[in-house]
Amino acid sequence: MKLKQGSFLWYLYLDKLYCLLSVRNVKALVEYFHLLDVHRKKTLNDVLFYHFLHHVTDLKRNQITIVFNMLDWNAVGEIGFDQFYMLVCILLAQENHLEEQFIFRHSRPIFELLDLDGELKIGPSNFHMYNFLFKIKKQQLRDLYHDFDITGDCTA
Amino acid sequence: MEEKPFKVRTLPGPPHPVSPQTHPRSTLGPSLAILSLSPGSGQLPTITASPSPPRQLSLGPGWAQDTPPPPQPALPFLPNSPRPLASLGVCGLQALAKSSGHRGSGKSSPHDTRNLWTTATQSQPKLNVPLPTVREDSELEGSSVGGKTRWSYNQKAGHDSDGGWEESDDGEDKDSFKPEELDEHALMELEMRRGSSLGGPLEEDDSKTDDEKSSSVSSLNISKHTPHRAYWVEQQSRLPLPLTELMENEALEILTKALRSFLRLFLHLPIGDDSLSVALAPPWLL
Repeated sequence: MKLKQGSFLWYLYLDKLYCLLSVRNVKALVEYFHLLDVHRKKTLNDVLFYHFLHHVTDLKRNQITIVFNMLDWNAVGEIGFDQFYMLVCILLAQENHLEEQFIFRHSRPIFELLDLDGELKIGPSNFHMYNFLFKIKKQQLRDLYHDFDITGDCTA
Repeated sequence: MEEKPFKVRTLPGPPHPVSPQTHPRSTLGPSLAILSLSPGSGQLPTITASPSPPRQLSLGPGWAQDTPPPPQPALPFLPNSPRPLASLGVCGLQALAKSSGHRGSGKSSPHDTRNLWTTATQSQPKLNVPLPTVREDSELEGSSVGGKTRWSYNQKAGHDSDGGWEESDDGEDKDSFKPEELDEHALMELEMRRGSSLGGPLEEDDSKTDDEKSSSVSSLNISKHTPHRAYWVEQQSRLPLPLTELMENEALEILTKALRSFLRLFLHLPIGDDSLSVALAPPWLL
């Protein structure tokens, strides 16, 4: 996944230590979200979300759908600013090669995002599904389960 | 010689009651002024505020002319003044005019000016103005006059005997140079204009012209700093304009594509469907 060079998100940046946006960047992002929210519902529906991601990244249609389903954790068909902010942080972390640092700093929210069915368990399939976002290599996954899978069911 | 009163322009304040004639160093020569400064102190003598309230020293247009000794300010230091040394240097110039008794010579050496400045510092008992030692040394070494200052006064005083004042001011400027300097420039410009208005009979046409030049130069300097401050304020509270335009243009493109998708979705609905008519109807019709 690559951000479109020269786009608005391309000019934002994450704090390299905490992998979060600065207040000024968040303020800019709020204004950007407000511009995209044409219905004035403080949310983006699937059409707007698709065109947004399609415009600023090189993600494919099915990948955008996966991301939308991941962020729509309430299953209302729309995403609010909280989810939008999380998405932007993920995109910027990948753009700046901070995926590992980002997962380290925000492991809990990411775990909840990957845990689609809410069983408080994530397996290799979860990681593989979102590999285009977090770029977790297969060998790293094998090592992870070899070290921490004490139950042996290949879930964490 | 006793001619018209001499006024030095600084920040606003009440006039100093001390007359120049009573200045203890009014008759001292440059040598004594040099000796009065102790190099071993490591720093220029600290000038603390006197009990009297701050005095206003307005730099009149005839300050560098052949004027009599000007009234000595009791306290050129203003508590809130960002440039306490300005009046200090002005006091030195006053003493210089008084001791040398000439301006029209057109050739007051920087050495005399610097000595006069040191004289002024010594004459002021308590002024809380730390003066840079390096500058004092450079003055004693005979560095060029007005070559390194940032003040607009340099333009006016380039040919005058206020090199010492400029140099000392520069050091003080450097120490206290902040975004608020814009206000300082405005204040100095105001002082110059005020001083020119108070110059009275001492003013000559060339002095007025010099004042206008200095004020114009100071205004030019102010204008140079104005965009910086405006840009700085914008950076603090708002997005940069280019980024705002980029954001708006990008949002417009995204929304245009989204609108086309919405229209395609609606066009696929069967004809006569209420949802289509509702979706395409203007809001005021619903």
